[in-house]
Amino acid sequence: MTTPAIDATALTRRFGDFTAVDQVNLRVDAGQFFGFLGPNGAGKSTTIKMLTGLLAPTSGSIRILGGDLQANPAEIKRQIGVVPEGMALFGRLTADEYLRFVGRMYGLDRATTLSRTRELLEFMQLAGEQKKLIADFSHGMQKKLALAAAVIHGPKVLFLDEPFEGVDAVAAGTLKAMLLRMIARGATIFLTSHVLEIVERLCTHIAIIHRGQLVAQGSLDELRAGAGRIGQAEIQEAAALPGAEMRSLEQIFLEIVGTDREGNPAATAPEQELSWLS
Amino acid sequence: MAELMGPESVPGFMPPIPASTQLLAVAWVRWRIFVNGMFRKRPKGTRQIVGLVFATLLRLIVWPMLALVVIGPVAASGFFAWTAISEGHPKSLASLLLGIALLWQFVSINGLSIAATIPSFDPASLVRFPLRFGRYFVLRTLLGLMTPSTIVGCLAVLAAAVGIGVANASLALPALIVMAVYALMNIYLTRMIGAWMERWLANRRFREIFSMLMALFVVSIQFMNLQRAPMRAPGTRSSWLLAVLHSSGSYLYWLPSGFAAQAILLVKHPLAAVAQFAGLLASTVLFAAVFAVRLHKEFLGEHLSEGASRRVQVPSAPRVKAQSPQPAARSAPAASGVIVSPTVAACLRKEWLILRGNGSQLIGLLTPLMFVVIFSMNRAFSAVSAKYFLPAAIAYVLIAALSSLYNIFGADGRGVQVYLLAPIRMRDVVVAKNLMSLALIVALVGLAWIIICVLARAPVPVSMQISTALWTVFVVAMNLAIGTIRSIQAPRHFVPGQGRQQRATPTNRTSALLVLAVLFGCMLLQIPAAIASSYFAAPWLGAWIFGPLAVAAVFAYALMLRNAERLILAHRDMFAEELCKT
Repeated sequence: MTTPAIDATALTRRFGDFTAVDQVNLRVDAGQFFGFLGPNGAGKSTTIKMLTGLLAPTSGSIRILGGDLQANPAEIKRQIGVVPEGMALFGRLTADEYLRFVGRMYGLDRATTLSRTRELLEFMQLAGEQKKLIADFSHGMQKKLALAAAVIHGPKVLFLDEPFEGVDAVAAGTLKAMLLRMIARGATIFLTSHVLEIVERLCTHIAIIHRGQLVAQGSLDELRAGAGRIGQAEIQEAAALPGAEMRSLEQIFLEIVGTDREGNPAATAPEQELSWLS
Repeated sequence: MAELMGPESVPGFMPPIPASTQLLAVAWVRWRIFVNGMFRKRPKGTRQIVGLVFATLLRLIVWPMLALVVIGPVAASGFFAWTAISEGHPKSLASLLLGIALLWQFVSINGLSIAATIPSFDPASLVRFPLRFGRYFVLRTLLGLMTPSTIVGCLAVLAAAVGIGVANASLALPALIVMAVYALMNIYLTRMIGAWMERWLANRRFREIFSMLMALFVVSIQFMNLQRAPMRAPGTRSSWLLAVLHSSGSYLYWLPSGFAAQAILLVKHPLAAVAQFAGLLASTVLFAAVFAVRLHKEFLGEHLSEGASRRVQVPSAPRVKAQSPQPAARSAPAASGVIVSPTVAACLRKEWLILRGNGSQLIGLLTPLMFVVIFSMNRAFSAVSAKYFLPAAIAYVLIAALSSLYNIFGADGRGVQVYLLAPIRMRDVVVAKNLMSLALIVALVGLAWIIICVLARAPVPVSMQISTALWTVFVVAMNLAIGTIRSIQAPRHFVPGQGRQQRATPTNRTSALLVLAVLFGCMLLQIPAAIASSYFAAPWLGAWIFGPLAVAAVFAYALMLRNAERLILAHRDMFAEELCKT
């Protein structure tokens, strides 16, 4: 049995009385393009922060590439790249300065940092913005820069929180190609996105978190077949219906998170509200 | 390009990253941020030239003033240290060092508007890099060295060491060593206080308790002062606080300042000196350790968890009240019995709700009052002449309150789009924001005024009170006018409640310099007015000078208000660029 790239066991995070992430068990094998989905406030960002060492879990364990994240956070952080929520860029630097800083912080030598910075800026089509401060970049340009910073040290595991948000179609195509090439070379990518078409197209395996609990995990085919779902008997029965294997990820997602714990529809029918709207 | 596409080919063990690499990287990035902040792109053409000239002039005016503010205490430290040793008052060295520590804290609390002139970044963002905690701690220690309090404090300590060395050459080396450790102790003491206060102030309940304690402190000090030293005759009231401090002189030797002083003075008794030095070192380690406890929590993502917990506490389903369709309120005339228009009323309510939820800002505004209380009871300030202390104290209280006038849209961030999209007049929004600021300023000035009148040794003459009142109207109206224009021309997004650790200063550099220049300028006006008033024995001269100035400033504000709509529309692009950017 190979060492999983990401292995979280009974991962829990509480904020006071509120449990944001509750007993999540997550296993991502090396080389997987893993999609992590959930509605707003489900616990996705909290989970990613814990998996990347930004936030200590209340309980549970995290192993990245076989190493204990809590015991060796600095060593593990060198093996991972992150495009965090909010991107965490330094607005008063230029793109070139920022990448050089990140490269040095990850321990790259000066020559490697410079050559990779140049290469990444070219690749991300940011080379023409040498003197522009990051604060003056468009949102899409900032996303591309954040992605460049996440890969400058050649991480084995990449965590991406909404990486394509605000990125134009041409650049998104380039980035997707880059990520797929990384996968082909053995990297592992952990991606969250609300654009389910992108997840469906890129990811081989998917997990869905809802109200802090993992409610589904497996390959797309397994989810279509109703396998990999956790604690939702009614939906598993629905998945067994004829034609279920043709459903899109969006349909599966809505089936899983569009219900409450008892399997009843969670959302209020739109026509029941805001009747005064013309 | 192929290099981009894959992970590092060297798996497993990686050699540790040298500390120097990361420390130098952070130092370099800090330097680049500073340089880029100085030469940030500016508007082209005439506006660029005007802006450059304006900024340069401001620096030429403000920096020498700031230098004077720094040089004064530094020179005094050196002189008093020299006096203490050469004239045989060694015991006063402990008091001097305690004074430097208090100055350090004072500048730390009041140095925010000066800190706004130094571009920086949030050091907490470094936690995402592969750093061990020890290295993070060192980085955080080093990153705060360019704060005004550290610069002023270190220079004062250095001056004291030089003073001691000049007075007695044999004490030069021990003084230098001890003072270096004393400076480090003060650095960690300031950081410790700042970090823990920020943490506690993030808690709503603590903010409420703290505000109440501060109010109680102010009231009880006044009460005790009156009880212990009732006014018998003008000029005879003594300060019980000073008496307590005087009688507790020997206890000062149990404070770090006492350890430092003794470690220098007992140099001929090595064992005793080493023991005192060990006490100073232990204090330094203690403060550093308490600071480290807080940093470690931050290292484990506490600041992130607060954001998350705040988010999850937001009710998922907003209450929807049944509302009848309303026509667009284009600053409709006020309903019967209402003084302000519905737009102004709505904006005022919103400003109040934000202020009410931002205890740290409120406490920041109230803190100067605490110093007013302390200085009011100090003979050095109030005995010379209470009448000169009144305008000085009001000016001090205004420093904190006025800087917020220079970026009134900054806290709205992207929310400013609501104002631009809604069918309202922007002038009404400006009026609402200014009214809220004015209410706060009136409350603060009023409180300070009452405190001074109650605690001052001699009654403040009516002529000086009128003069100060007119000066205050002049200063506030002028700052409202200039501050609002500056808020429109150079808005800067900031998050209220983010503390000094995050370096979230509410104004940009030029605005921060401008507020200092305007305030210093206004304060300097008081000096010739006071001299002339005294020279010509004309107590009402100040009122005659500041009366017309107050009227002119109010007129200038009205003029600005009339043009506010046009000005904001002309600067919509600036709002989008600075406030609405993701």
